[in-house]
Amino acid sequence: MKTNRTVSPALMQNLRDVAEVMPLLVVLLGLFGGAVVLGILQSFGYAPWFGINEFPTTRYFERLWLSSDFWASLGLTLYYGFAATLIGLVISIPLSIALSKKFRVSRTFAALIRLPLMVPYTVGIALALVMLGNGGLLSRISAGLGLIDDPAQFVQILKTHWGCGIIAVYVWKQVPFMTLTLSAVLARKGEDTVEAAMVLGATSRQIFWRVTLPQIMPGIVSASLICFAFNIGAFEAPLILGGGYPDTLPVLAWRYFQDANYAFQLQGMAVVVSLALVSGIFLAAYLLGYRRYERARGRV
Amino acid sequence: MTQVQLKNLSKVFSGAPAVDAIDLDVACGEFLVLLGPSGCGKTTSLRMVCGLEQPTSGSIWFNGRDVTTLPVQKRKVGLVSQRFGLFPHMTVEQNVAFGLSVRGLSADEQMRQVGEMLEIVRLSAFAKRFPAQLSGGQMQRVAIARTLVTKPEVLLLDEPMASLDTLLRTEMRQFIRDLHDEYGMTTLLVTHDQIEAMDLADRIAVMFDGKIAHLAAPDEIYQRPANEQTARFMGHSNIFECTPISEGHIESPYGQLMLGVGSSLGAKQPSKAMLRFESIQIEECREAPQENAFSGTITRAEFLGAMMRYTLQVGEGSLTVEEASTIKRKTGDAVTVTLPPEQIWLLQ
Repeated sequence: MKTNRTVSPALMQNLRDVAEVMPLLVVLLGLFGGAVVLGILQSFGYAPWFGINEFPTTRYFERLWLSSDFWASLGLTLYYGFAATLIGLVISIPLSIALSKKFRVSRTFAALIRLPLMVPYTVGIALALVMLGNGGLLSRISAGLGLIDDPAQFVQILKTHWGCGIIAVYVWKQVPFMTLTLSAVLARKGEDTVEAAMVLGATSRQIFWRVTLPQIMPGIVSASLICFAFNIGAFEAPLILGGGYPDTLPVLAWRYFQDANYAFQLQGMAVVVSLALVSGIFLAAYLLGYRRYERARGRV
Repeated sequence: MTQVQLKNLSKVFSGAPAVDAIDLDVACGEFLVLLGPSGCGKTTSLRMVCGLEQPTSGSIWFNGRDVTTLPVQKRKVGLVSQRFGLFPHMTVEQNVAFGLSVRGLSADEQMRQVGEMLEIVRLSAFAKRFPAQLSGGQMQRVAIARTLVTKPEVLLLDEPMASLDTLLRTEMRQFIRDLHDEYGMTTLLVTHDQIEAMDLADRIAVMFDGKIAHLAAPDEIYQRPANEQTARFMGHSNIFECTPISEGHIESPYGQLMLGVGSSLGAKQPSKAMLRFESIQIEECREAPQENAFSGTITRAEFLGAMMRYTLQVGEGSLTVEEASTIKRKTGDAVTVTLPPEQIWLLQ
């Protein structure tokens, strides 16, 4: 008996889709996925190229998590990450609303907002040193104005665990990104709802809290997720502008990687994996919370 | 009820006048339609009445009170726009309650009034839905309910039916007119749809290039338009060159035409006349000549559903005629057309 076997069109379409994205998948899985797997293996003691193969061991994680330094570093890392993201948002939301309006110097305003995006991070760090340091521009101006006797008496902004300099650099760099993301959401939303609220008698404050803010929430979530992930992973600013011990987790990892003893690389990997884990937990919790918020508003 | 007056009102955008010194009186409880093509200034005029746009010059008066600089929140107007402007993150109920809650009404009072309003717009069953879960017609009714619940003194409608399909549009026109008659509030509606305007309006203001070209009742605007531009915009018509030859008579490409009493030449020195497609009578070729009756030949026949449209060669000119599609004629048929004197309108 002869049977006719035909491949379903849906299956064929799926195969075609996979074939089309295969080049991208190979690059992603090979480069990014491979590095992630290798990093995780190292954190569990697998590094035969350094003459170490204790796989599987949790000793590097245990050493890390049982030390109070790790938790201090984690707290500091999260503090810089949250503070900079929050301050960035508070500045970016009004800026994005202003950017969506047309006024006399709106084009100059838009250009000024975009400017920090084009300046490298390290330049921002150098600017912070020149501006905010004890021998910096602000301290000299303060001394020149007679507010302090000597520039050295200027309040210490850099090299403290309050991280004002670090947060300032993060905010300076991410405000344009957040502002442009939010202004794109505002542009897509249009003015209809704001005008409707005005005609219905709402004040500017009521419009902001009850109409504009809930509508730009998807943009706020996207922008803050990206900036938070960057902030807790960056090491240049905390290394140069930070207050020293305890370091943030990325700086701690960097110090392990820089050590002459290759065996410390595995400890560094345990720091990086721990950081990724913490970041993942926070981001997942944030997304879950946001999903519930959206569901309550019928958007999911 | 509120009387609305626009006095010498102008709006200039980047040096180009969008609204050019218009004067308009809208009586208490009147339904006035601003009708015109895109870019004629009708929406800008409405936005100035609303307070969303500041006039470059001129003034706006409500019941004899100058409200030109009064903030939109204090004008007691209601606006339903083309895209409705519903808050996507609020339910139907919350949308309708918004205007009441910003006025500080208690939650119980809000719910009572919202419930009543949703009954009126027949949306009680949809109270807990979000705008994205509604059809176009339902969204429009939510927008209307949200506006009416605040009891505005002037209702402004900016092409509220533009995004609805034809059937729904007819239904919503009736709904809007019924609501206006029930509440009796002064209403201004902006549209580019002549049928919508004629169906809804007590009076129509036809606008071109920022100016009001003709302000009158719908039948007058349709049958006796002020000028050729208005005549063409208001619907299909034969507009032809003419020369006055004596009181009550003109020479046309079709022959000599007698005019009706209403079309008396008077002081007019017209060069053009107008006759609507549907005003012309068409019949089988007739031997005995009559006043204003001419022989012609059908050069084109189009089926439009309820109507047939014929293009005819009559004398030295061409005429277009519409007739009920129950009678079918074909290209090449010889016919007699009668141009009723009282339907011929001389254009300035």
